[in-house]
Amino acid sequence: MEAQETNNGSEDIIICRDVHKWYGSFHALRGITTSIGKAQVVVVFGPSGSGKSTFIRTINRLEEHQRGQIIVDGIELTNDVRNIDAIRRDVGMVFQSFNLFPHLTVMDNIILAPMKVRKMPRDEARQVALDLLDRVGITEQSEKYPTQLSGGQQQRVAIARALAMQPNIMLFDEPTSALDPEMIKEVLEVMKELASSGMTMVVVSHEMGFAREVADRMMMFDQGSIVEDGSPEQIFENPQSDRTKLFLSQIL
Amino acid sequence: MAAEVRPVGNPPLPPPILERGVIGWMHANLFSTWFSGALTAVSCLVIGAAAIFGINWILFNADWSVIATLGGQLVIGQYNTELACPGQNCFWRPQVSVLLVTLILGMMWGLAGGGLPKRMGIAVAVILSAFALLPYSFERMGMDVRLLLGANIPALGIGWAIARYTPLGTSRNVALSAVVVFVAILLLVRGGPAIPGLEPVSVRHWGGLMLNLILAVGGIAFSFPIGIALALGRRSSLPVVKLLCVVFIEVFRGVPLITLLFMSQVLVPLAFPENFPQNSLFRAAIVITLFSSAYMAENIRGGLQALHPGQAEAARALGLPSWQTMLFISLPQAIRNVIPAIVGQFIALFKDTSLVYIIGMLDVVEISRAFIQGNPEYLASTKELFLFLGLVFWVFTYSMSYVSRRVEENLGVGRR
Ligand SMILES: Nc1ncnc2c1ncn2[C@@H]1O[C@H](COP(=O)(O)OP(=O)(O)OP(=O)(O)O)[C@@H](O)[C@H]1O
Ligand SMILES: [Mg+2]
Repeated sequence: MEAQETNNGSEDIIICRDVHKWYGSFHALRGITTSIGKAQVVVVFGPSGSGKSTFIRTINRLEEHQRGQIIVDGIELTNDVRNIDAIRRDVGMVFQSFNLFPHLTVMDNIILAPMKVRKMPRDEARQVALDLLDRVGITEQSEKYPTQLSGGQQQRVAIARALAMQPNIMLFDEPTSALDPEMIKEVLEVMKELASSGMTMVVVSHEMGFAREVADRMMMFDQGSIVEDGSPEQIFENPQSDRTKLFLSQIL
Repeated sequence: MAAEVRPVGNPPLPPPILERGVIGWMHANLFSTWFSGALTAVSCLVIGAAAIFGINWILFNADWSVIATLGGQLVIGQYNTELACPGQNCFWRPQVSVLLVTLILGMMWGLAGGGLPKRMGIAVAVILSAFALLPYSFERMGMDVRLLLGANIPALGIGWAIARYTPLGTSRNVALSAVVVFVAILLLVRGGPAIPGLEPVSVRHWGGLMLNLILAVGGIAFSFPIGIALALGRRSSLPVVKLLCVVFIEVFRGVPLITLLFMSQVLVPLAFPENFPQNSLFRAAIVITLFSSAYMAENIRGGLQALHPGQAEAARALGLPSWQTMLFISLPQAIRNVIPAIVGQFIALFKDTSLVYIIGMLDVVEISRAFIQGNPEYLASTKELFLFLGLVFWVFTYSMSYVSRRVEENLGVGRR
């Protein structure tokens, strides 16, 4: 967990060099080169099918890249299973469809990984879970099953579940797209709080209000490439690429 | 709830009479159109006629004496004959086995504290004890036999107390006790030259319902884990493992059980060292278990395939290694979703145990058939006897599906 201190003094916690990914013959990521610094909040946006999900899923190797180099927290992602498991322990992920475990209570959803992977004693894990549930604004629901909660509550539990592993990086893949408007707000609030606590976050999202307020950096994806990368001010006020202009004019 | 708070709008009205209560139900389900009305009327006539005819036959025309004559043979076959246990009474051995089972049921009740295990335990113990009151003469059914049957009620209580007041009362220990009891029962019924007081009884003389139950319980207990292993093997990324599992599953599913049983007597010996202790029952049990495992594997594989891929992804993203993801996330959900299919498989297995007649074993069906054949004066009672056998199988299989439905409800299968 202290790995970043020995990271050659560099502040970059995610480094991608010429990353390529093919699904069969379809070229989904076409040479992604970027690095993300510690405590940065990066919002990734772009049209459907542009490779946003694929990109953040290669960062914890839910998808394998076939060319190039990805270094997360000082560890290079290779086929070495120990590296992959080590990185997944330190990188939390939140999905569009929550993916809570329906056969486990909220509490068991949260304490499973800390107990099995971090070997945390049950009592300690429960305490951590209760603190996290409090932090995401869900109290007294810990013995319910996920399907007994609203979508917004489920997504906040999913965030708590990821945080229970005490990750250094959090990945969000469209965390609010499956939610009703009034629930989007409660999830975004939690994410804002997380960002202000200094978490490194990569967020695929089209919530432009959130991006403007919270993001340090925005990346526009199109056809498997990063077509624009800059601060929110720059992206919104003065976009360089025509694709970005067009896309923003469509969604804003 | 929200409607009560709202001060404006129309108040709720009761539904029209045609959609309420018995009349509404009958109207909707039985007489909604003239065609369904006619169908209802005809069905009622047919069911009524069948019921009158059936009850009349069961109560007044049928001769049920054949079942009383067979009596204990239906339960244990030739186990207690002079041939099987020369010069002694062996009936107590299956009886003590039954007591052990009741003991375990009592422990399950004590562990659960009520609910289904309680109802099941009480039902089993009461029914077994009631057999002590059968109106047989004391020569035919001795006091010892009756007392051992009656002991089922105290056995249930003892099991309950053990689970309540000793360290054995954890789910792990109860499960372990069940395994120990299963092995103990096999030893008790089989006996051995080295065990004083337990003369060996050759498995050729095991029979009756006891044989069906031993084969079914053993088959169920072993085919479940083997089936899981095969299902995982079939999904393995290692080509050799995958191929082996596919071949195994397809071979055992593709050949009729009766053929497998027949072949077992020739083929199973080849798989074991020459001096490995084995017998026809052992071979039959292996084949039945493997046959059932193949189906079990496909059921579980179906359950795994139906899972949303996001489940395993979420677990992997949390850093759980793939075997833990399988163990804690995928398998529990997969199994839960295919409980009906699994129980169907267990019911089929139980009924299929009758096929061991093909290798000369006298299960409850075969012993009945053999009895009629050997005693032509009972030929006319064949229908009564086999009707009764059907009822016996039905009671067991219906209990299985009842238990499974309750388990499903407790696990909340519908809640996804
Ligand atoms: N498992 C897969 N197999 C084949 N093709 C895939 C697979 N996953 C994604 N793709 C393709 O790769 C491309 C990029 O997909 P990706 O999911 O990364 O897009 P996205 O930018 O996240 O889009 P969206 O906004 O719709 O989520 C798409 O064209 C998609 O069809
Ligand atoms: Mg996506």
